[in-house]
Amino acid sequence: MHILEERQRQVHRKGSEPFDLDCNKQSAAGSVSQRACVFCGSRVVLYPIADALHLVHGPIGCASYTWDIRGALSSGPQLHRNSFCTDLKELDVIQGGEKKLHKALTQLIVEHQPKAAFVYSTCIVGVIGDDVEAVCRQISAEQGIPVLPVHSEGFKGTKRDGYRAACEALLKLVGTGDPSGVSKASINILGDFNLAGEVWMIRKYYERMGLEVTATITGDGRVDDIRRAHGAALNLVQCSGSMMHLAKVMKDRYGIPFRKVSYFGIEDMSQALYDTAAHFAGVVPGIQERTVELVRGELQYILPEIAEYRKRLAGKKAAIYVGGAFKAFSLVRALRHLGMDTVMVGSQTGLKEDYEELRELCDEGAIIVDDSNPLELSSFLSERQVDLFIGGVKERPIAYKLGIGFCDHNHERKLALAGFEGMLNFAREVYGTVASPVWRLTPRGSAREAAPCR
Amino acid sequence: MRKIAIYGKGGIGKSTTTQNTVAALAEMGKKVMVVGCDPKADSTRLLLGGLAQKTVLDTLREEGEDVELDDIRRTGFGNTHCTESGGPEPGVGCAGRGIITSINLLEQLGAYHDDQNLDYVFYDVLGDVVCGGFAMPIREGKAQEIYIVCSGEMMAMYAANNICKGIVKFAQAGGVRLGGLICNSRKVDNEREMIEELARQLGTRMIHFVPRDNDVQRAEINRKTVIDWKPEAAQADEYRQLARAIDANDRFVIPKPLTIDSLEHLLIDFGMAA
Repeated sequence: MHILEERQRQVHRKGSEPFDLDCNKQSAAGSVSQRACVFCGSRVVLYPIADALHLVHGPIGCASYTWDIRGALSSGPQLHRNSFCTDLKELDVIQGGEKKLHKALTQLIVEHQPKAAFVYSTCIVGVIGDDVEAVCRQISAEQGIPVLPVHSEGFKGTKRDGYRAACEALLKLVGTGDPSGVSKASINILGDFNLAGEVWMIRKYYERMGLEVTATITGDGRVDDIRRAHGAALNLVQCSGSMMHLAKVMKDRYGIPFRKVSYFGIEDMSQALYDTAAHFAGVVPGIQERTVELVRGELQYILPEIAEYRKRLAGKKAAIYVGGAFKAFSLVRALRHLGMDTVMVGSQTGLKEDYEELRELCDEGAIIVDDSNPLELSSFLSERQVDLFIGGVKERPIAYKLGIGFCDHNHERKLALAGFEGMLNFAREVYGTVASPVWRLTPRGSAREAAPCR
Repeated sequence: MRKIAIYGKGGIGKSTTTQNTVAALAEMGKKVMVVGCDPKADSTRLLLGGLAQKTVLDTLREEGEDVELDDIRRTGFGNTHCTESGGPEPGVGCAGRGIITSINLLEQLGAYHDDQNLDYVFYDVLGDVVCGGFAMPIREGKAQEIYIVCSGEMMAMYAANNICKGIVKFAQAGGVRLGGLICNSRKVDNEREMIEELARQLGTRMIHFVPRDNDVQRAEINRKTVIDWKPEAAQADEYRQLARAIDANDRFVIPKPLTIDSLEHLLIDFGMAA
């Protein structure tokens, strides 16, 4: 398999070479990256805030291709699931889009009465130089709600830069509300987007431990909660790629400590709860005991069934390609719990230290890859003869074309994979796809049948 | 039909020179269309007698896609066809895209079609080729020949040299060629010799030296070209000569832009040191 020259240092095989992985840079020209653009990065992070207006300032395609991209669930308002757009056309590009933006915002705010509005700048807005900041300021004064520009022009960098632009917009909201009445035993949940109700599950765990959740950012998020999020005592950050910047600035600005957590897999889920309990040990009496009890109860419920799947999955090989590297750590551990080996793992936006940790986690021979493309991924999957591929919507067809089981661990899933219950769902899903008889009908499957001793 | 684009430093007199030359060509019996490619939309004022023309982009914005050729084209001096592409208010939007949109629309509406019996189309383009849109008139299939208006002032020569760099790019991609330099005199010492030498080093020639004459300003105050306002004036004959030179021109080249060093040498040799 030919790997583009510019990309050769972005692929590492554990054991065969010293570790010096190149990452966190713009995608190589000619490599059809699995990454989305800056705008898309901002959009997926912010849009789960359900009572805000999300307006895409740009041509209609930018809005329609990202419409409800995560299907993030809300327990209340559903405003976020619309895809509002200024629909910039030829003459708007020539004459400038500021007047149209002003009109759209005014009309939408009057009609929908949102708690805040986010205005996303797309590529063309950056090129023609609309002063989005000034329009937002003006509308905010006229309508009396926060109107926040998101500087997410697509060409400005990678999806990661979009995360950062989203965090910058959030930072203009955080601290604008009244934090009085926020308990000393309160946390913010950062970096879960409530695709399939995960935030509700996680929130319940923390509440059972005796904690209060001030804001969920951004899954099932609410503007007023985010405005007073600076009153919380601890930030728990999942999906470090998207929310780390917010957590770091909140630490500098308001002195709120943060912890990186993951809710995927039994080990990481339990660790997240134990660490949090330890943090509040002096503040919330009995929290550690309650947490032990909680974990025990949950495990008793899920472990027997998982053990069954483990028997049948032992020795199977898996490959992982996800957006953020942090999720990959949890997946490697969760797969190990099912008796499976991870032979390839990669991410769109991982950092050097993330890849070092992945290398530590994986066995000899594992392929570690940054910002990959379909050609590379297909060849890695074939080379390592994997039984399961875990990824998102853009990885799914790669797996199915090769006749390999697939588990969606990204935007499109409707079944929660986080939490203890999620681990059981994950085990069921992995077993279901790996053991599916359908693969016997594919060329690869029938070749395996013919030669069972591979 | 010959398609000609006029470039040059801002304020050098492109629009005045273009309109006077077009008036002279019209006087010779040629059928000419002028396409103003400047958001200020002042490229056809002298041909139209000061008539404020509704621009292509204004028309598109106010009347939608359903535009007819007559909505965006006026008839000026000597039956010339006059259009202005127009553009956004200063400081907003994308004027370059406006030029692209306007020229595309003119093509769609058949402004260049054979049945229009045009001998010449002149594109009068804003001073600096600031982005791709302002190079639209010299892309493949648009203007084939370019004249650069300049003077003996240093910045005008710098600009002329820079425009030549742009022409090289488009000459390689398409068929556009440089037809020559038009010196619009600012009464700089040794101006004629200096521009002749600049032209020679660029691989082209100075096609005409237009002397400075206040009749041009007097005609402009009357919203007319000199040809129209005072046909017997000496300056009118200068523009007639320029028009004949363009009409007879058969030397079209890919220019060889100068290095900054050579350009400065030229200025020293002919200007200060001479």
